[in-house]
Amino acid sequence: MDTLASLLHTSPAIAWMGVKIVIVFSAVMLLASVWTWVERRGAAMIQDRIGPNRAALFGKIRILGLAQLLADGIKFFFKEDLEPTDANKGLFWLAPFLAFVPAMMGFAIIPFGRDFTSGGHVYHLSVLDPGNGMGMLYPLAIGGLAVYGVLVAAWSSNNKWSILGGMRSSATMVSYEIGMSLAVVSLFMTTGGYDPSEIIAAQGHLPWHWNVVPQFLGFIVFFTCMFAETNRLPFDFAEGESEIVAGFNTEYGSMKFSLLALAEYAHLMTASALVATLYFGGWQVPFVAHPSVGLSILSFLIKMLFFAWVFVWIRWTLPRFRYDQLMHLGWKAMLPLSMLNLIVHAWLMSHGR
Amino acid sequence: MGVVVKKVELSWLDRTYVWPVMKGMGITFRHFIKQLFTPTSKRYTIQYPDMKKQMPAGYRGLHELKRFEDGAIKCVACFMCAEACPARCISIEAEEFSNLNFTQGFEEKRPQVFKIDMLRCIYCGMCEEACPKDAIWLRNDYEVAAYDRLSMQFGKWDLMNTYAEADGKERISEDPIPSVPRRAIAM
Repeated sequence: MDTLASLLHTSPAIAWMGVKIVIVFSAVMLLASVWTWVERRGAAMIQDRIGPNRAALFGKIRILGLAQLLADGIKFFFKEDLEPTDANKGLFWLAPFLAFVPAMMGFAIIPFGRDFTSGGHVYHLSVLDPGNGMGMLYPLAIGGLAVYGVLVAAWSSNNKWSILGGMRSSATMVSYEIGMSLAVVSLFMTTGGYDPSEIIAAQGHLPWHWNVVPQFLGFIVFFTCMFAETNRLPFDFAEGESEIVAGFNTEYGSMKFSLLALAEYAHLMTASALVATLYFGGWQVPFVAHPSVGLSILSFLIKMLFFAWVFVWIRWTLPRFRYDQLMHLGWKAMLPLSMLNLIVHAWLMSHGR
Repeated sequence: MGVVVKKVELSWLDRTYVWPVMKGMGITFRHFIKQLFTPTSKRYTIQYPDMKKQMPAGYRGLHELKRFEDGAIKCVACFMCAEACPARCISIEAEEFSNLNFTQGFEEKRPQVFKIDMLRCIYCGMCEEACPKDAIWLRNDYEVAAYDRLSMQFGKWDLMNTYAEADGKERISEDPIPSVPRRAIAM
């Protein structure tokens, strides 16, 4: 790292930051695009189909249809970039970025491996070092921003279906965010801090000490809210394709649509990383007290990808809720449940347990 | 009289959502695993250019004009199929052929031109039903496609050779010299 820094005429801290940003964002981008393929193949397998398996590199190397990603990307790049005549052009162009950037930004806080010391420096494996004062509040705030992408896309495209999708999405956001935040607040309380590295350190390496065991109720609430936040299927009101054409992205085509779709998968990755960090010990390796850096990264990746798979799995299991049902669920079930969770843990803590 | 809709009473376990969702996930996961470990040849999907469906015996696909052992066409150009055809896609021009030698002289009829417009054919099998000589069969080939309209006009020799490869017969492109009267050959 020092040699890289001297080559670039910067300090090791800045060089390390640059390396982290490149690694994290390219990894999330790659995983997000691979997950479009996983989603389609997984859906096919669940429905006793086969899925996209014919796209091949140079027409020969089939590798389970993974070349579909490239084919899709190339196709989206070369499609005509249409926009409706009456659309609000500036916002119409801005919306995909508004959706994409918060989805990627949320990942910055998450420690994806154990920190290590080399040459007197402590290197933290998260883009934002611990102790930055934002902690877990940052991904929650950024997650709140994500709805703007949907809403702006919906509003600017001047389409009835789009605006219905956007309105539904913003209405759902109001109803799930409080329950989710309260679930996280009870984590802050039991941990005694809101920095993700503190939360991970407090959970330890034994699986029954991870937050999912004492706070199972909180986990259920948080995980359910993550579906609403990522606009994934049981709660994907923004794009109910059986009800409102394609919802907020009806008017989108070519690379702008691709960016909106990628944003959804990047959001999915961030959400599953959050679940792994908050409730499943982050990079902690089960039964290994002091894992090596590689092992901790591997452990984190496995947890994260498992939850990303659960997102896909649930999507192809459950039908879409009506959105008044989510209102009902958010206000009358999740909010009281996370309140109960908070109160029970507060009571337990006050009795010194 | 109105219909009384019975409301389903959910048990408290079902009303938590969590348990039914997990049951559903179990079902989908079972399907996933089953499909994942099924070899490609045993899956429901027939991956078309690589695998082809074996058509059932009664399938009405591409036509074949049947021939005798010596390669002579069975069709006697009676125009029954052309009459029966609801799509009017068969056009026949008949010709006479004869071998008027002194012991077994005969004079018979066969199609000189037998054309089916495959673009118009609806594969209904009426020609097969109407044929008194069992000379036209609809068989199991369903891949009837071409790059231009003209190649979809199947002539007499095309129709006689459509299943030559599949049956291991040789392709023929002219009528054999007749030796015995066709009516003498057992059907």
